[in-house]
Amino acid sequence: MSGSDRRVAVDGVSKTYDGEDGGVRALADVSFDVEDGEFVCIVGPSGCGKTTLFRIIGGLEPLTSGEVRLSGEPVTGPSPDLGIVFQEYHLFPWRTVRGNVAFGLEQQDLDAGAREQRVAEMLDLVGLEAFADSYPKGLSGGMKQRVGIARALAVDPEILLMDEPFGSVDAQTRSMLHAELLSIWRETEKTVLFVTHDVDEAVTLADRIVVMEPSPGRVQEIVDVDLDRPRERTDEAFAEQVEYVRGLISE
Amino acid sequence: MSTLETDLGTDFGGDYDRRRLARGALGVVAFLLVWEVASWFNPAYVLPSPRAVAEVFVVELRSGAMLTALTASVTHWLPGTVVGTTLGIALGVTMAYSDLADDVATPLVRVLRPVPPLALIGFAIAWIGLNHAGAAFIIAAGAFWINYYAAYGGVDGVPEEFLDVAKSLGVDTDLGLVRKVVLPSALPEIITGIRTGIGRCWMLIIAAELMGVPGVGRELYTASQNLSVDAVLAYILLMSLVYLVLDTGVKSVQNRVLAWQ
Repeated sequence: MSGSDRRVAVDGVSKTYDGEDGGVRALADVSFDVEDGEFVCIVGPSGCGKTTLFRIIGGLEPLTSGEVRLSGEPVTGPSPDLGIVFQEYHLFPWRTVRGNVAFGLEQQDLDAGAREQRVAEMLDLVGLEAFADSYPKGLSGGMKQRVGIARALAVDPEILLMDEPFGSVDAQTRSMLHAELLSIWRETEKTVLFVTHDVDEAVTLADRIVVMEPSPGRVQEIVDVDLDRPRERTDEAFAEQVEYVRGLISE
Repeated sequence: MSTLETDLGTDFGGDYDRRRLARGALGVVAFLLVWEVASWFNPAYVLPSPRAVAEVFVVELRSGAMLTALTASVTHWLPGTVVGTTLGIALGVTMAYSDLADDVATPLVRVLRPVPPLALIGFAIAWIGLNHAGAAFIIAAGAFWINYYAAYGGVDGVPEEFLDVAKSLGVDTDLGLVRKVVLPSALPEIITGIRTGIGRCWMLIIAAELMGVPGVGRELYTASQNLSVDAVLAYILLMSLVYLVLDTGVKSVQNRVLAWQ
């Protein structure tokens, strides 16, 4: 662990769920680092423990051994330094779009004016100003996830942790959201940790891809993606990269 | 609650509502007709005609007897309902949220739950007396369980993920989670409980006034002891009208508060 460059340090993380026959090993000695401002995807087949890892990094679930550090501080629970975006959005249905985005800000010592301004900035960032007063039930999946992202970013976390955030939207919306997320990432200079099972998605987005393998979940290889952005799925280099990662996963 | 009917109502607009109203009116008229015809073949002390009941209703209303009875009933119905509802929600939320409270209180709840509010009349008389407070006690017991179970179910059904989101956004106390997430998320069930409880408690006044406390229920007993079926029906009509007004009021509040659904 050197300096504050390592935004996220996953250090020998293991997780065993209690059960008969000594329980189920979900993760075994998982280690990797994420640098400040980096975009890292975690990819793997189902059963590789990537969602467990997501929950552990987010402080939503305890680990059995090892440690996760955010900017050098061990994770002991959910922290406002880390904004979480879920696949199923989990927007608060009783709050408007504006109310959802304001939720985290209400926990801070901000006067109403500053809060409103921050909410407006966030809605502008995700292009949802026109829907500020709508309730989540009336929004499409893509719009809901934009709200989810705005809500997580509103409190200005260092890290954005996302679990298959675009897994529930159609392909066209997904590629639009990819472009939007990358532009948000560039604009805000956040560190992004993005869990997915979609190799195309990982190669489209990531600086590096942590490829995981199942039973028990562990890191198989960490792949650098040296492709210029914006990346075109039709490029040969893109296809090669995807093939390579797919090859790892199907081994 | 988003029932099929209300969905249709919004989809089909005013025409649908008007048709519903017209059909409802038809049902009422048909019922009154059958009643009227049946009354021709029965003596008035068995089945008075709708008109006779309406006349008694107007007489009782004009004399002020109805208003007096209504005021008396409300004097124990309102505090009983408010206290029972508040305690029921408070305990339901606490037990559903806290495993500790749940474990401690569950055996007690299992034992006490089957006791009907009517069975508490003895306690009401012994502990409190034949007065408004005694009647309010019975009503509160009725309101308590309805609201307890509604709040418990609502809080039990709060998705764990909402709590995760709130924690990751800086809510770090149980009180904060309850206030910002648990209560708003469980509000539909809680309000349904309040609405059910208000209606059920209004009906409970009959039981609560059985022991001699004045009110609409008491008037009903007096009338039935005098074999004045017309007065019995007039007071039943009064109870129904009050219930209708109450429930419509609560329903409109419910719709406004739960506009997000």
